[in-house]
Amino acid sequence: MTMIPKAFGLIALLVLPLHASTSSGDLLAIRVGKAETISNGTLEHVVILVEDGKIVIIGEDLPIERGIPILDRPDWIAMPGLVSAHTRVGLERSRASSFTPQVTPLREIYPRRDEWMELLELGVTTLGVVPEGNSGVPGQAIAIRPHGDTVEEMLVKEGVYLKVNMQSSSSAKKIIRDAFAKVDKHDKAVEKEHAKWEKAKEKSKKKSSRRSKSKKDDEDKKEEEAKKDEKKPEAKAVSKTFVPPTPTPAVKTFIDLREGRLNAMMSIRKAGDYLHLLDLMKAEESVNYYLRVPLRTDIDLYEVAEELGEHEALVVLNAVITLQAHSRRERNIPAELARAGVSVALTPERDRLGSYEEWMNDVGHLVSRGLDRDTALAAVTLQAARALGLDERLGSLDAGKDANIVFWNGDPLEPASSIQAVMLEGNFVIGEVD
Amino acid sequence: MDRTLCKRLLAGSVALLLATGAALPAFLYPPMVEDDKKEEQEAEEEEDQDKYFAVVGGDVFTGTGGVLRGVTVLSKNGVIEEIGNNVYLPEGTETLDAAGLRVYPGLVALNASTDVTRGLFSAEIKEPKREDILTHLNETLERVIHGHTETPDDGYAEEEDDWEDLDLQAQVAVGGTSKFNDSFDPFSPFMTLALASGITTAEQSGAAVKLKRGEIGDVVMNERNIVSFSWSTQNPSGIRSLREKFKVTREYLALYRAWEARGDKEEKEPAKRGVDTGALRVLQNQALARFRSNDREDLMGIAHFAQENGFRPVIDGCREGWTVADELGRAGAYAILTARDRSPKRETLVRDGGSNIQNAAILHEHGVQVAVKASVGSIESMGISGRDLLHLTVEAAFAVRGGLSNSAALSAITTVPARILGVSERIGSVEVGKDCDLIVTDGDVLHYQSFVQFAVVAGRLVYDKEEELYFAHIRPRPAKPAVAEEVEGVEEDEEGHEEADQEESGSEENDSEEGDEKGEEDKDED
Repeated sequence: MTMIPKAFGLIALLVLPLHASTSSGDLLAIRVGKAETISNGTLEHVVILVEDGKIVIIGEDLPIERGIPILDRPDWIAMPGLVSAHTRVGLERSRASSFTPQVTPLREIYPRRDEWMELLELGVTTLGVVPEGNSGVPGQAIAIRPHGDTVEEMLVKEGVYLKVNMQSSSSAKKIIRDAFAKVDKHDKAVEKEHAKWEKAKEKSKKKSSRRSKSKKDDEDKKEEEAKKDEKKPEAKAVSKTFVPPTPTPAVKTFIDLREGRLNAMMSIRKAGDYLHLLDLMKAEESVNYYLRVPLRTDIDLYEVAEELGEHEALVVLNAVITLQAHSRRERNIPAELARAGVSVALTPERDRLGSYEEWMNDVGHLVSRGLDRDTALAAVTLQAARALGLDERLGSLDAGKDANIVFWNGDPLEPASSIQAVMLEGNFVIGEVD
Repeated sequence: MDRTLCKRLLAGSVALLLATGAALPAFLYPPMVEDDKKEEQEAEEEEDQDKYFAVVGGDVFTGTGGVLRGVTVLSKNGVIEEIGNNVYLPEGTETLDAAGLRVYPGLVALNASTDVTRGLFSAEIKEPKREDILTHLNETLERVIHGHTETPDDGYAEEEDDWEDLDLQAQVAVGGTSKFNDSFDPFSPFMTLALASGITTAEQSGAAVKLKRGEIGDVVMNERNIVSFSWSTQNPSGIRSLREKFKVTREYLALYRAWEARGDKEEKEPAKRGVDTGALRVLQNQALARFRSNDREDLMGIAHFAQENGFRPVIDGCREGWTVADELGRAGAYAILTARDRSPKRETLVRDGGSNIQNAAILHEHGVQVAVKASVGSIESMGISGRDLLHLTVEAAFAVRGGLSNSAALSAITTVPARILGVSERIGSVEVGKDCDLIVTDGDVLHYQSFVQFAVVAGRLVYDKEEELYFAHIRPRPAKPAVAEEVEGVEEDEEGHEEADQEESGSEENDSEEGDEKGEEDKDED
């Protein structure tokens, strides 16, 4: 704990000048030995050109123009900043059941907390923070960067997904069914209102046409209209555009879900839940959803690997080897799912800081037990960014993406490797540079 | 006969369908050429969807008394389509070779713990303490009997950090869908174990739930066939109010039937006020009344009460049933019992009492329909205590030790419980038209040494001993048993006697033969 103030001091010293340089639009070229681009595999002798917080270009042995400052680190390995797709690290937890789809954890975020700095030190540059509550529909997640003096500065994106806890029980299913039923009800109400409005519009048209026929003076008309306005400023005056009745925030969330403006993160607890979920979502084909499955000992998720693969699911798992029920047989569920064609995003084994410290080690462990290495690296970067709807901006080292880069002194999946520097949107927030 | 004629009449793919019987109309009314084509198309379309499964060459113990040697059971979409020797298997039929093995109807477990189909957590967590089993067996029984409504300890107390791992405890049936359907876990390890024990249907708080593995649709067959009442001489007012309940209901029924008979449209239907719906359903023969009783006095009372009211009681427990078996037989009662029940008679009484291993046999002799249940409905200590759900067949075998015939003991875990649950038209025996819920064993199902090799539920192979981690290592299945040839020889001899085999005596003979064989095997092993 004592090292945190120190770290703060360091950053204050180091970051500020860099900050000033990059914000003025200056280029920075970083030359590293290797880069895990995620999108294009592993590159060697890589030059990354960063400007305005974005990666301008990345490639092997690129010539660097004279005058561009160069950071030459041939022993470093660059990879995109880690993304945790589903977390409440450092926040309070509750087991309450709730139905509050409009809630976000924004108010719970306090800037300048030690945890954020520690997460940055661990290479975590983006966090998908979920609202509290582990049954029902607790609300929408937000994406934050663990850096910034105000909540606004920390916020990357609001409403990244709606967290829904789906279990195979009548009550859990009912919550979801009811929510969509309310949307149906609202749609009907809108239709009704629309019909009313059309009628009213026609009526007013008729009236106005009559008026024009009766050849009233323009002045009269104006007077009349003025009178009308005075009498009933809003109530009866037919608006030119149809204003549908505003849905309640909860209903609006589910409308967004149905119309594809919002994704859902369905939290399930076992293989059986997925079949129930498929059954439940048959009626809601337009809804795009990802899955969150907290892996625990004895979980039987491998039973639905094929189904998940068929549906090209994106599943957010924690990086852990589990045991098959009633045995000591190890199951590498992330690997099994990935082999079945499932997109896997990995979070730390447990949702606390200590586990974040072991995150890459745990992922490395999964790799040593059969998980494809590239899949594993994508699982903590690009796939996680996808789950947050930020894969256009984050998750790989590509031109045009945010310059969130973690620099290691060795293979990121090797326990012996350590982080040398962390760049967040073009700024070195961790590490001694120059 | 039919088949050869048909084959002559219709060519190719239409003939495929004939085995299924779907094209029978075409056979009865000689088709025009165009019709023929249509049929053909339809046949093709149908075959695309239809799912065939066949258990080939096993000795089928039908459960209704007959034993069919070396026959094939063909199912179409989960329903048994044909049983016989030269069954035509449509293209794409999935087959299971059961040569040298025995095929039984899937067993029905009464009083099973809801973990079997809900299976949220693994068995270890649910395991009750050892003292519970040893010193407070009765309490354990009570707990298990009434335990269905209890919410289990979710076992996550120690893992405070796993804030996501919490279940919605409320398991309420909502909006017409069955809560058992909604909470059905098709991958529950408990279910696998139940299937490994031959159980393909489990009673879950009165509901008959089919243990479909890997599927969630359509698992509850009937959940409204049992209405529970209590009858205890310890509680005379309870008996009085029960009598009153039935009296009111009887009177209402009399009024209702008279009203119905009059058929007067203007007359109002008699008021249903004060009528107990449970009693009404029992008296209308829509449900069975279940009593949990063990004492002779209670059993007598129930028997008389049932006869007065004209319904057949289901008596769960029935420990002293053997002392009043004739009364229970007269009342047409069903008894659900555990053959290994041990309880001394009350020494203050002169009359017979207490448990008796002959209980099942005596009750059966007097016309009581006997069902056997495991004394504990859950799966505990992975079955080492020997009296949980994994040992349903052993429990039935103890009834055989007490004098019950083999076939009656098989009925006690198949047809009778199916009747009690109101699903006897679907399960309980291997018959054409019934659900294809079968188990394939390597010996007499009641023998302690036998293993369930395969379990088939709704025409799908859901359990294969060699594929599951539980029992694969114990006496692994030989690649192809050398005994198979001998069995085939036997089959040829008996082909002609199939009809005769249907009789119960025939099957018992067979059973005893098999028993002897088993004995020899045992000696060999020694």
